[in-house]
Amino acid sequence: MNPASRERLGTKLGRLDRPGTVVWLLLAPTLLYLAAFAIFPLFYSLRLSFTDLTAAAGTGDWVGLRNYGDLLRDPHFWNATKNSAVMVSASLAIQVVLGVALAMFFNLHLRGAWLVRGILVLPMLITPIVVGVMWRALLNPDWGLINWCIAAVGLEPPNWFGSIEMAMPTLILVESWQWTPFVFIIVYARLQALPQEIFEAAIADGAKPLATFRYVTLPLLMPAIIFAAVFRAVDSFRSFDLIFGLSYGGPARSTTTLSFFSFQNGFQWQNYGYAAAVSYMMLLILAVGTIVLLRFVQIRPGYAK
Amino acid sequence: MAKRTTSGRTSDPSKDMRGGVNRRQVIKGAGAAGVTAAALPGLVGARSAFAADYDPMKYAGTEINILMTGDENDHRALNDLLPELKAETGIDLIVSAPALGPLIEKTLQNLKAEQSSFELIEYLGFLTTQQVGGGYFMQLNEFIDDPAETPPDWDFDDFIPAAMRNVGYYDMATGTVGKGTDVYGVPGLHSGSVIYFYRKDLFEEAGLQPASTWDEFMAAAQALHSDDVAGCSFIGANDFSLATVDWYTRFITTGGSLMSGDPNEKNFTPQINSPEGINALQMLIDYLPYAPKNVTQYGFAENVDGFSTGRIAQMIFWSTIAGPVLNEENSLVADVTGTAPVPAAPGHTPSAIQGGWGVGIPANIDPAKRGAAWRALTWVTNKRINRHSIEAYNIDANRTSAFTDPELLEKFPYLEHALSAIENAVIIPTSRIPEFFQMNAMMNVEFNAALIGAQDAKTACDNVQAQWEDVLRKAGHLA
Repeated sequence: MNPASRERLGTKLGRLDRPGTVVWLLLAPTLLYLAAFAIFPLFYSLRLSFTDLTAAAGTGDWVGLRNYGDLLRDPHFWNATKNSAVMVSASLAIQVVLGVALAMFFNLHLRGAWLVRGILVLPMLITPIVVGVMWRALLNPDWGLINWCIAAVGLEPPNWFGSIEMAMPTLILVESWQWTPFVFIIVYARLQALPQEIFEAAIADGAKPLATFRYVTLPLLMPAIIFAAVFRAVDSFRSFDLIFGLSYGGPARSTTTLSFFSFQNGFQWQNYGYAAAVSYMMLLILAVGTIVLLRFVQIRPGYAK
Repeated sequence: MAKRTTSGRTSDPSKDMRGGVNRRQVIKGAGAAGVTAAALPGLVGARSAFAADYDPMKYAGTEINILMTGDENDHRALNDLLPELKAETGIDLIVSAPALGPLIEKTLQNLKAEQSSFELIEYLGFLTTQQVGGGYFMQLNEFIDDPAETPPDWDFDDFIPAAMRNVGYYDMATGTVGKGTDVYGVPGLHSGSVIYFYRKDLFEEAGLQPASTWDEFMAAAQALHSDDVAGCSFIGANDFSLATVDWYTRFITTGGSLMSGDPNEKNFTPQINSPEGINALQMLIDYLPYAPKNVTQYGFAENVDGFSTGRIAQMIFWSTIAGPVLNEENSLVADVTGTAPVPAAPGHTPSAIQGGWGVGIPANIDPAKRGAAWRALTWVTNKRINRHSIEAYNIDANRTSAFTDPELLEKFPYLEHALSAIENAVIIPTSRIPEFFQMNAMMNVEFNAALIGAQDAKTACDNVQAQWEDVLRKAGHLA
């Protein structure tokens, strides 16, 4: 390489040394990926929500806020909103209470706990659609294992998905079965990391176990609980596959949540514009809900003080 | 009279004839006159001439892709015989067979793309108006009339006329399915409607005749109901067939008419909460004490399973379940199951919904592959596939010859009733509009809610009526 060429190459490489150039180069693949697969679909679906695009119409005409107006007047949308709220709040409460209780229990370090702990987390490793189909089979009124067991002890098996009253509790039960281990793992990990001196000091001060839990353990665990709760709330709100496999939104729309309602409109009936509007309403509800949740229950260092 | 084809050419069928007569017209004419081909030496001679023009290996080496349903056994029957297709035509047929939901989505994507990845697409009869009427499929008349392109033994007129009206003929000018002579699809890979299944042994023991009216159906349900066997069953779950099979059959065979007016004239009005509509739903509610305990959760599989294991005395159902119910390997009641036309109110003809599929060639396929696509289409709808589908999988055929084949009839006596069901079936009027599935789903939800006791029959019908009217107004079918 002659000196002139070396100089030109040096100049080019020198440009790479400018602050930020390398950073942008390294970030570029991720940014491109996000732009193509996250940001573009987000804006595309937002635009879609302002059109009347259906499979029949082919190209959607701009209808402004009509889809949103229709949604607010649609009783099925409000029914789905109510179902989502019930499902999220009930399953979240169960998961948090049980998750914390399990974490406290396993913190006793009983013999063989490691094995039970391992088994306990298995449900969350299963794909939700499989969980749905599996539980639907287990709860089958004619040949399901659970009903058979209940009948075997002389009891009348519940009509799990044959009545409006039972369907939502059953859905919540299955959702909690699958995801309580998640809350348990997060809380248990936090529990393991807590400094023992605080508990020793509490005992030295004469605090009883319940008081220790109420005034020491729980506040220290709160950041982990909030993290798990927010994560689960968002995930549960979006839950579609479990419902698809388990109840298909029925009976009588009693388990039709917003995500399932959006799926029905978009992928069963090809009302793409309307379905996109449902999704954006979900996004709005989720954003407001998360902000409210985080505002009411603050996470900050030293919360235990 | 000259007509415009999908390729844009103006063709005159009269110029596309051998000996001054179009082949389809000859066969149709012969059929109308009640004269068999064997009695017409001239026609046989004409067929021989067609055969001489036909080169089976003309499209050898071409790859053709078919998109078809994977929910039924059609694709299995086809796959069984694919090596023969390759040997006889040299065409490689690649079969994609997803479930109904993905099938519809994939179909729409391909039909609306610049070029379809599938040269053959199977579509539900309920979607003929949406997909064929949308102009997405090629008109096939020129192929059918061309002896160089159509196998001499394909026999267009063998297709059941009712099946042709359901998926084949479409009048673009008026947007009417089943009208005119323009062909856009061929019945395949199966047709079907609803027939009555009953337990011969139980009826004989009780001294009952199979029900021919709904009152007799109810009386039999009451008489035959026991702890071990339900007097009757039906689709009680929130399932496609709750509305289309159980409610609709009772509705139309008691004098109901689902829609009045015309979607194009914006007066397409539902009649769900008519007395017949409410009565048809009330009938299902009244069966509950004599039906399986959990019938409100019974869909297709549960009913087939219940009947096959001897826990159901009678029900009306898609004739396509005759396969599993009458197959001794799968059914405990194969030898004691009888079939008959569906019951009807006195003075009404047994009739039910027209089911079945059509196969067409998307208009946007690679033009160079059109000939090969037609060749493959004639092959997948030929008599051999039809016969094999019945023999191996008890699939309801599309061809009259398969239903009237003495050997098959001897083996599968239900074919007689299956054929008459198809011939007398009606195309559900709502299938004329793309909102069909959405409206059907609304009906199933409300009817299921009535069956589980959440509302009465009238409220359910009123709710469906209101929801349908709303959908129809939004879609511009009702002013």
